[in-house]
Amino acid sequence: MTNSLDAYLILSGLLFAIGTFGFLARRNAISMLMSIELMLNGVNLAIVAFGSFIDRLRPNASVIALLVIAVAAAEATVGLAIVIAIFRNRRTPLVDEYDSMRQ
Amino acid sequence: MSWQDVAIVGPLVGAILVAIAILLVDLVVPGRRGPALTVALLGLGLVAVLTALAGRTPGQAFGGAYTVDALTTFLDLLFISIVGLTIVFAPDYLEPRDLPIAEFAAVLVFALTGAMLIAASTDLLVLFLGLELMVLPGYLLAGFAKRDSLSTEGAIKYFLLGSFSSAIFLFGLAYVWGITGTTRVAEVAAELARVAAGGAALQPGLALGLAFMTTGVAFKIAAVPFHYWTPDAYQGSPTPITGYLSVGPKVGAFALILRLFVGALGPLRADWLDVIIVLAALTMTLGNLVALTQGNVKRMLAYSSIAHTGYMLVGLAAYAGGRQEGLQGLLYYGAAYTFMNLGAFAVVAALQHRPGVTSALETFAGLGRREPLLGILMTLFLLSLTGIPPTAGFFAKAYVILAAVQAGGALSVLAVIAVLNAAAAAFYYLRVVVYMFMREPVAETEPQRHSSLVWAGLWATTVLTIVLGLVPGPLLSVVTDAAKALTS
Repeated sequence: MTNSLDAYLILSGLLFAIGTFGFLARRNAISMLMSIELMLNGVNLAIVAFGSFIDRLRPNASVIALLVIAVAAAEATVGLAIVIAIFRNRRTPLVDEYDSMRQ
Repeated sequence: MSWQDVAIVGPLVGAILVAIAILLVDLVVPGRRGPALTVALLGLGLVAVLTALAGRTPGQAFGGAYTVDALTTFLDLLFISIVGLTIVFAPDYLEPRDLPIAEFAAVLVFALTGAMLIAASTDLLVLFLGLELMVLPGYLLAGFAKRDSLSTEGAIKYFLLGSFSSAIFLFGLAYVWGITGTTRVAEVAAELARVAAGGAALQPGLALGLAFMTTGVAFKIAAVPFHYWTPDAYQGSPTPITGYLSVGPKVGAFALILRLFVGALGPLRADWLDVIIVLAALTMTLGNLVALTQGNVKRMLAYSSIAHTGYMLVGLAAYAGGRQEGLQGLLYYGAAYTFMNLGAFAVVAALQHRPGVTSALETFAGLGRREPLLGILMTLFLLSLTGIPPTAGFFAKAYVILAAVQAGGALSVLAVIAVLNAAAAAFYYLRVVVYMFMREPVAETEPQRHSSLVWAGLWATTVLTIVLGLVPGPLLSVVTDAAKALTS
C-alpha cells in the first residue's frame, strides 16, 4: 500500500474531506477561505500523484497543477479583498452574523 | 501556435484589449463617464463584429482545445449583448452613489472574456479556466458598493459558495483526467462511448469524478438544492449588477453544461437523464414557491431566476430523452430570458435612481400613474417572464415544454410540472403589476428623469422581447445550427 497511487489518492481525498468539513463547520470567513485552499491542495495532490504514477499523464500533470495553483492564488486575492471590505462594514469576521437579508 | 490560431482567438483577445483600454482611458481622464463608456460600447461593437467574422470560418485552435463553431458565435454574441446592455443601464444607478463607472465597465468586460472562453472551449481544463475568469469578476461586482454592508454581505456569500463549488468541480476534473488520461472533451466522450457500449466498465473513480463535476456545475447555475447563495447575492448587489449576475454567469454556466454534458458526457446521457429530471423539477418548484412569499422585488426576481434555471434544465432533460429540440429550446430560452430579465432589472434600477430608494414592493405602488411608460414596459417584461403570448417568454417556455412532451416517459411528467409552475409564477409576477397600477403610493414622489442611454437600452430589450415572441423564425434557425454544431 505504501508508495502506491492508491495511497496518495486516499491522502488527497482525506485532505479534500478535511477542507470540506472545515468549510461547513467553521464560522470565521478567514477559516472558511483556508478550508477552500485545503480542498484545492487536496486536488493538487491527486493531480501530481496521477502524473507521477501513470507515465502517459506525466507531461500534463505539472501544467495542470501549476494552473490550479494560479487559480487558487487569484481566488484567495479576491476573497481576502471581499473579507476586508465586509470586515470594515461589520467589524466581525463571523459569517453567521452576516444575516441582515434573512427574512 | 500559428497565425490561424491567432485569427480564431481574435474576438477573445479583442475583448481583453477592450477591458485594458477602458482602464487606460480612465487613467488618462479619470472620473469621467463619457470617454470610458464610449470606449466600452465601441469596443464591444468591434468585438461583436470580430465574433461574427470569425464565426464564418469555423475551426479549432491550440490542438483542439479551442473551437469556433455556430454555438460559440451564438453564445459570444449573446454574452456581448448582456455586457453591453448592463453597461448601458448601470451609469444612472452608479453615478448618484459615487461608484466608479470605468472600473465597473472594465471588470464587466473581463468577466465577458471568461464567458467567451467557456463558449469556445472544448477542453475540460480550459472550461474550468473560463469559468473562473467569468466568476471572479462576478464576486467583485457583487461587492462593488464596498461601503454598503448588504453589497459586501452578498459578495462574501457568493464568493465562499462559488469557490467551494469550484473546488468540488476541480476535484471531479482531476479524477476524470486521471482515469481517462485526457482533458479534451472529444476524447473524454470517446472514452465514455466505449463505457456506454459495454466495451469497458465505468470505473468508480470516473463515476466519482463525473458526480463531483455535476455537483460543482449545479452550484454555478443555482439549481436546488445548491441555490443558497443566490437570494442574498442578488438582493445585496447594486441593482444593475444583479441584472447582470442573473443572466451573465447563468448563461455562461449553461454554456459550460452544454460543452460538458452534451459534449463530453453525451454518450452516457441515459444515465444522467434522471439526475437532470429531479434537479429540474426541484429547482423550478422550490424557486417559484419561495418567490411567492417575497416582499422585495429584487429578491423575488432572484427566486424567479432559480425557477427559470429549472425551465432551462427541462430543455436539457428533453435532449437527454432523445429530442434535439430540447437543446434548441434551451438556447432559445437563454436568449429570451436574457432580454426580458435584463429589462425587468433595468426598470427596478431606474426606479432606484435616487440613492436610498429600496426595491420593496411598496416602491412600485402608483408607478403606473407616476411614470406610465416605465410601468407599461415593466408589465411587458413581467408578462414575458410569466410566459404569456405574444412575448419571447411564451415561445421559449412552449418550446422546451413541447420538446419534453415529445420525448415522453418521465419527461411528460416533468412537462406537466413545468406548466403548473408557470401558472403559479403568474401570481407573483402579476402582483407587481397590481401594485404598479392599482395601489396608491404610500408617499407621493416626483417622477424621475432617466438618461437617454437607459431609454435606448430599455427600448432595445423591449423590441427584442416582443420580436422574439412574434417572429421566432430567424433566431430559431440560428439556435438550430448551434445545437447541430454541438451534437454532430
